[in-house]
Amino acid sequence: MARRLDIGRLVLPAAAVVTGVVLLVVFYYPVATVFVESVVVDGRLTVGPVSEILTSDFYLVDIIGFTAYQAFLSTVASVALGLPGAWVLARFEFPGRRTLRSVTILPFVLPSIMVAIGFVAMFGRRGTLNGVLGAVGLGPVELLFTLEAVVVAHAFYNAPLVTRVVTAAWESVDARTVETARSLGASPTRAFRDVVVPQLLPAVAVGATLTFVFTFASFPIVLALGGFQLATVEVWIFKLVSDLEYAEAAALATVETGISLGLTYAYLRYESQTSGQGEGANPLARQSLVPETASVKTLASRLSVLVYGLVVVVVFVGPIASMLLASVSNAEGFTLTHYRFLLERQATGAAFQVKPLPAIRNSLLFGVATVAVALPMGVVVSVLSARAGWKGRLVDTLAMGPLAVSGIVVGLGLLRGLVFGVDVFGREVVVTGTVAIVAAHAVAAYPFVTRNVSPLLARLNPRLVESARSLGASRARALWDVELPLVWAGVVAGAAFAFAISVGEFDSTVILASGSGSYTMPVAVERYLGRRLGPATAMGSILLVVTAASFVVIDRFGGRWEL
Amino acid sequence: MRRREFIRTAGAGGAAALVAGCLGGGTDASGGSTAESTGTAADGTTTGTAVGSTIPSELVVATYSAFVDAPSSSPGPWLKEQYESEFDATLTWETPENELNYFIERQLGGAGIDADVYVGLDTNMLIRIDERLSEPLFAPVADGALSRRDDVKSSLEFDPQGRAVPYDTGYISLVWNENETTAPETFDGLLEPEHAGELLVQNPTSSATGKAFLLHTIAAKGEDGYLDYWQRLRENDVRVLGSWEDSYNAYSNGEAPMVVSYSTDQVFANQSGEPMSEHQIRFLNDQGYANPEGMARFAASEKEGLVDEFMDFVLTPEVQAEIAVRNVQFPATTTAELPEEFAQYAHEPPEAVTFTYDELKGSLSEWTDAWARAFASK
Repeated sequence: MARRLDIGRLVLPAAAVVTGVVLLVVFYYPVATVFVESVVVDGRLTVGPVSEILTSDFYLVDIIGFTAYQAFLSTVASVALGLPGAWVLARFEFPGRRTLRSVTILPFVLPSIMVAIGFVAMFGRRGTLNGVLGAVGLGPVELLFTLEAVVVAHAFYNAPLVTRVVTAAWESVDARTVETARSLGASPTRAFRDVVVPQLLPAVAVGATLTFVFTFASFPIVLALGGFQLATVEVWIFKLVSDLEYAEAAALATVETGISLGLTYAYLRYESQTSGQGEGANPLARQSLVPETASVKTLASRLSVLVYGLVVVVVFVGPIASMLLASVSNAEGFTLTHYRFLLERQATGAAFQVKPLPAIRNSLLFGVATVAVALPMGVVVSVLSARAGWKGRLVDTLAMGPLAVSGIVVGLGLLRGLVFGVDVFGREVVVTGTVAIVAAHAVAAYPFVTRNVSPLLARLNPRLVESARSLGASRARALWDVELPLVWAGVVAGAAFAFAISVGEFDSTVILASGSGSYTMPVAVERYLGRRLGPATAMGSILLVVTAASFVVIDRFGGRWEL
Repeated sequence: MRRREFIRTAGAGGAAALVAGCLGGGTDASGGSTAESTGTAADGTTTGTAVGSTIPSELVVATYSAFVDAPSSSPGPWLKEQYESEFDATLTWETPENELNYFIERQLGGAGIDADVYVGLDTNMLIRIDERLSEPLFAPVADGALSRRDDVKSSLEFDPQGRAVPYDTGYISLVWNENETTAPETFDGLLEPEHAGELLVQNPTSSATGKAFLLHTIAAKGEDGYLDYWQRLRENDVRVLGSWEDSYNAYSNGEAPMVVSYSTDQVFANQSGEPMSEHQIRFLNDQGYANPEGMARFAASEKEGLVDEFMDFVLTPEVQAEIAVRNVQFPATTTAELPEEFAQYAHEPPEAVTFTYDELKGSLSEWTDAWARAFASK
């Protein structure tokens, strides 16, 4: 008995130490090797590069200012597009709801080049949208290569994230709190405003903050759908790194990271102030999408669902369907040539070429391993930073670092810090290959687990844990038996995100892959791009199908344990 | 490379060795049998060669990934097969994601370089190397080491220090769709209102074709006039996208009727049966910007003899012809035996323009940076 308790007491600290070590090895150390260049020039400590950026009109206005402006617009668009989705998914019952909920995250895994291709096919001059508009006699719209196109594409990526996070929060709203308000005489609207909205706000803030941080660091979408005149911070960092201007690149990345981390810290302050009272075990009952009675109110709500459905078709289904269509057609019409290419490459491709099946296998393998590593990491960080003061927020902010640091900088750091080898006590240590890739994916993914779990965990009544502890349970036992079942919706959402991040990840995969055997589906998509889009869209379609199926499995499997 | 990697990582520690072991397990042992296999190659000799009385030599060739892995017809697999059938050596391709920057970074970071030769250098890359590195990354080819060195057209020589040996060249031109527009004859023509929003260009800071087009405008408008010219291009709604793929795909989708690409575009169009009307070539001011590609031996490589043999092999008439067709570029030698169709569809400009290494050294990054700042100003 005593022995078991001791082990139980060691579980959380041990997990925390492992999390810290993984973070240090595949994130903080590599990134530090790059940031050092912004403060050390020719072996001397200096503020030169950073202050040069902070005193330059070009950097402040044309690059940083513009980046913040487009990120703000993108965030507004993503929240506006994502919230109704959460409403529909959380409040209505209809066939396929769970599947739809599972695949809301799909845009998140699409390589940006596929999104660009889908957007061109959907919104381009000869795109589907203009085809439909032309058929009903409306003039063609020219959306591509403008700021608007970039904002819509960002919403395509991030609105599902908002939907996902808010749906998880909405589903864990305790129905009894609403019933209490109603029994005290509150109207449904009033009960919604005073009881439900406060419980959703942290989730909305999570979605908005993450969207801002992501779109602030936007890079391939801006170049592919906007063009270089819309250059963002990240585009500029990429330019500097390509030119090997490391000091300037690192300085700009330092400023960028400062902004992102500052924002994260501000958000966390907010999150810690809004701890509600729900306990999440009694979700609200959903309404049927087909109303039983035809009142004005139910008709109005169903009409808005319909309108929202149309928007979803244009913005989400359109680009994806256009991409799928591109994979089975060429100039002459319907064709399976592109899939035949994949079969041929699989059958006769040389060992040094990228083949479809190993790419699928690696993606799934890395995805599952990432979920296995990122879930404990994310939950541990959530628990450790749950109810502490500013110190806890600081730890939490630092733990969110992987979200806030430029992908280009992380990639460069991994390359120089791990791939080129590190001198450890006189021995050259090179970190590459499968384990390193999974660790890097887990580091990129666990913040999503944390951000899905933390707000729900913070809303739990602390007395639940206290009474479990007073009955002799270890902290880990209380977490496992009491808290996790109550926040399971968030854990499953986090797992889906972790899987998505792993499947969609490109940069650290190609950097850490040793030899030629560790490529994934997005790598294959990129390799198959050429003068014709076909092979790449075929590979992209396979990526889409494989990951959609995976999300359904994650949600269903996760759901089985729902209490 | 995998074998070396294995030995190195195996020595590095438990986890890394486990990793390399995983990788070794699932890979394919095929030596690359493409559809057009000549049948002379001994498939299967490329791996598992460690067990034997003599260990055949291994030549590690680094290049950009499209050279070995493009979906259409990259020269890599064919080249490997031919090389291994002629020499008692294994050719191992290495395609780091950052391409040449990967090796520059390794050198800067004091990490060793395990590749012997790089395929895919141009003048701009040489300048980047020479500006950033104090120790040489590449070594010059010794006098008389290559029997076919003199077959290379002298107009394509781009390295005054004799490191890079040209193996093919492209001419950067406009590709345009005659169903939708008529491309202008001159750079000034691009500023006409009728061409507003009609041109797609690549980002000169990250793409070779984009950089070549920028340099061509500097050649045409002068060091003092090119920024002003670009300002007017921008006002005429030119679009600068990320990579050649980004812009060519947008062009193929009908987003714009003109794109900066290669003057060999019709070779590809002919191969794949695309309508020629969508692959018209225009040499602005009757000029094409020449961008020769070269190969060079890494200074760290100890296989000078093997590398020299490889370079000589790449310069043989048959290999030159095959690279030209598969890489859709012009051969670098005067001796290549090109198929008739190639000559019909590959267009050479009346006048080839290019900046020499000496003209670019010291100016290239200044010109590009000035352009980037001006173009990215909101």
